[in-house]
Amino acid sequence: MAPPRGEVLQGTLDLIVLQTLEVMGPLHGYGIAQRVQQVSRDLLKLNQGTLYPALLRLEQRGWICSKWGASENNRKAKYYSLTRAGQKQLLRETESWERMTALMARLLGGTEGA
Amino acid sequence: MYRLRILLLRLSNVFRKQHLEQDLNSELQTHLDLVADENIRRGMSPVEARHAARREFGGVEQTKELYRDRRGLTWIDSGREDVRLALRMLFKRPGFTFVAVATLALGIGANTAIFTVVHSVLLEQLPFPEAHRLAIVWSIYGHEGRAPASGPELMTIRERSRLFEDLGGIWAQSCALTGQGEPEQIKLGMVTANFLGILGTHPQLGRWFTPGDEGPGSPFVAIISDGLWRRRYGADPHMAGRAVRLNGQPTTILGVMPPGFKIIFPEGSSVPPEMDAFVPFRSSLASDPPDQSYLRVIGRLRDGASIPLAQQEIEMIAAHLRSKFTAFAEPPLNLQVVPLQGDLVRNIRPALLALFGGAGLVLLIACTNVANLLLSRAHERTREITLRIAVGAGRGRLIRQLLTESVLLFCCGAVAAISFGWGALYLLLAMQPKEMERLSAIRMDAPVFAFTFAIAIGGGLLCGLVPALGAHRIDLARSLKEARQTGHPASRRHRHVLVTAEVALGFILLVGAGLLLETFAKLMQVNPGFVPENVLTFRVSVPWEKFNNTASAVQFLRALKANLAGLPGVEAAGITSHLPFEDTLPNWYSYFWPAGAPKDQQNTIMADYRAILPGFFKSMGVTFLAGRDFDEHDVEQNLHLAIIDDTVAEQSWPGQQAVGKVLNVENGTRDTVRDNVQVIGVVKHLQYHTLTDQVRGQIYLLYPLAMRTHMAFTLKSNLGARQLLPLIRREVSSLDKDLPIYHLEFMTEYVESARRQARFVTLLAGLMAGIALLLASTGIYAVTRYSVVQRTSELGIRTALGAQAAQLFGLVVRQSMLPVALGVAIGVVLSLLLTPLLSTLLFGVRPADAPTYVAGALLLSASALIASFLPARRTMRVDPLVALRYE
Repeated sequence: MAPPRGEVLQGTLDLIVLQTLEVMGPLHGYGIAQRVQQVSRDLLKLNQGTLYPALLRLEQRGWICSKWGASENNRKAKYYSLTRAGQKQLLRETESWERMTALMARLLGGTEGA
Repeated sequence: MYRLRILLLRLSNVFRKQHLEQDLNSELQTHLDLVADENIRRGMSPVEARHAARREFGGVEQTKELYRDRRGLTWIDSGREDVRLALRMLFKRPGFTFVAVATLALGIGANTAIFTVVHSVLLEQLPFPEAHRLAIVWSIYGHEGRAPASGPELMTIRERSRLFEDLGGIWAQSCALTGQGEPEQIKLGMVTANFLGILGTHPQLGRWFTPGDEGPGSPFVAIISDGLWRRRYGADPHMAGRAVRLNGQPTTILGVMPPGFKIIFPEGSSVPPEMDAFVPFRSSLASDPPDQSYLRVIGRLRDGASIPLAQQEIEMIAAHLRSKFTAFAEPPLNLQVVPLQGDLVRNIRPALLALFGGAGLVLLIACTNVANLLLSRAHERTREITLRIAVGAGRGRLIRQLLTESVLLFCCGAVAAISFGWGALYLLLAMQPKEMERLSAIRMDAPVFAFTFAIAIGGGLLCGLVPALGAHRIDLARSLKEARQTGHPASRRHRHVLVTAEVALGFILLVGAGLLLETFAKLMQVNPGFVPENVLTFRVSVPWEKFNNTASAVQFLRALKANLAGLPGVEAAGITSHLPFEDTLPNWYSYFWPAGAPKDQQNTIMADYRAILPGFFKSMGVTFLAGRDFDEHDVEQNLHLAIIDDTVAEQSWPGQQAVGKVLNVENGTRDTVRDNVQVIGVVKHLQYHTLTDQVRGQIYLLYPLAMRTHMAFTLKSNLGARQLLPLIRREVSSLDKDLPIYHLEFMTEYVESARRQARFVTLLAGLMAGIALLLASTGIYAVTRYSVVQRTSELGIRTALGAQAAQLFGLVVRQSMLPVALGVAIGVVLSLLLTPLLSTLLFGVRPADAPTYVAGALLLSASALIASFLPARRTMRVDPLVALRYE
């Protein structure tokens, strides 16, 4: 098996996908992957294949829903969009992520200061 | 929270698989196309663009597999897939499948057959309601064995016990049924009125006894069996109220027992399972003499009362009995409560458990063989497995696949095993020992099938694990690069461990079977103290009602004996109250002591006593050690004489001449004087109960001193039963046309019945050892053959470098015999630990019998040697050129 190009924590990937859909509106898998790479400026190397099981998981939890539609090049593509439950989840995750980063910043900053 | 939703979603996805699969494919294809479009726009060629898209994406198949895992319920989905694939694998290799299934059919089938018996005999409830509450109460005097109870004992226990709901007693008798039709001797159960209520059965016709039918002055009533009702009375629906004659006494039939009713008492309790009729006791049991012990006592415990509690209570009752009756004080009476079920199977249990253990070993050997086959096959499939990992199969999924194959194989084995077990069961039942006959039908039912498949699935998982673990360690890069595996040292080690294990297991079985075989051989050699060949026996009843005084009964028996002895072809005729190994009739035994023994030595030793008339010893070929036989003069003069066996002689007058001494024999159930009988002869001990144990000594009295209502004749003659029977009938009816003769049997058949259990166990153990030997040999053959094939190129190089064919042959045989030698060594240690468990089944041979061990080791090594010779011969034919090109 080929080694993964960049480890993305599962919880993080969920948050990234939800945030992307919130900002960009309905997108297909490739679109999400492109956007992630674009925003992260290639700092975060997403293995595109791992995106699809993650999308399925989010859909099973009812946070996103999918619909077939036509892409820009007129190809048949599956579009994902955020549901109401997904929006709530995004809020929750954002909050907890912020708490976490604040904590980490304090912790690391404190260590540095000492 | 989402769990249920997700589970339902996934479950529904299982059934929409095809649709979802298309969805997934087109979604991923779109992704790849979009990436490729982008790449083309950046100036790549279309082919280049598609390759780049795939690279960027990562493993497409791996993603699909991950996606599928999450989408449906993987285990249902892939389970279905696994089974399909496994079936294809099994069909693709019919040879492999056949060998594996046949091996398993033997291994599992042996277990199925034995388990069927174990389940029916040891585990299943007796056919009585709440049978676990039924218990037998035995009387034990001092250090003697179990004895029946007397009337006062039973009545006292019944009166004082709080834990027993009710207790009753039975005494098996035999009586003449006359009236309509041929006179017939039937088995009669004299019972307390509550007896049937305790068992919980009800008559199919009429009614059971009530307390008013019991005791002195009660009417003559009886209940007959279904068998007798159908056979003799044509299933008359108005049977209740009809009158018949029992021992000449007009008796009213109250009811008919249900069909298939059996009184299931343990062997040796002298209660035959099938009684023809029951009558209530007409004497007052409470006022019986306390030393007349004849009642077999059965009780029903109250709900929730346990055997240990009942035992505590009964010990207090025994203490009360000892203080109340002097007869119970010395030797002290003790009472023992045993569960009916447990007691029934007491004798057969060790044999069945040993056989069950043996079947378990056979199964282990079969599993080892199959594990080995699977291992070889997994090895051949290394490339296939490697490829499948490379294209995205998860390792977990692969292991599951291998396990599925193995479990499926075992399940096929189980199906074959059930048919094989069915046949084996027929064999078992054809030669079942009599301890098993007493119990209800032995049959294959749901628990047996469940057991068979449980061991199949368990074994399948266990055996599948061996190659599955190997698959776990596959090094992708290396396996793909290597064109062909050459005998991987690790897997060779695995196989050698398997060979060692199966040799060790096989050795245990061989030794066990050898010890049992030795036992059986010893049993065949046992001298029972008489010559059973050409002795025809039968019984004639001498009912008191007909022969109302001693003289007329003696006269009748003597006349019949004289007439029979005078028949042409009859060498000798004798009469006895008891025949050896005839255990359906009550045994007679009581205390004895030399005349003049001090009071405290009087009630210490018991002996069986028998009533005989002159001619018994001669017809049975019994050896006289001293003194003389009875003669007709002794009978005519009604002399108080006895003949004793060497055991009683040694117990009474150790080191002295017994002839001429005087013996006192405690009185039994009849008021005949047996004090001061003079010993006129000493005979060799006769085996009456088992072939192996000397239960008690024997005292032979003349018939008038110990009368019985039915006596057995022994005719020494070289004529067959067919020639003798009409002559016997003619002689009997010429003296009394109403007397039936019954129990016609050759003495050899009685002796044979005593050997039945040993024959049964030995044959089965031998069969299992044979299977074990066969399986172990095929296992060794397979391993050696496989390693020779694997090492063809290595052997070729060795040949090319100048090794002699004989040297290579030696090398291969040596290497395959090494694990065999190790297995034998481990087997010896294990056998030394395990065979003592067999000791109750052994006779005349110690569990650590050296010759048996040596024979087992030799037999196993010889088979192993042959099994490795055959494939090793291939090395002789290895052509170095062919071998080197073998890659």
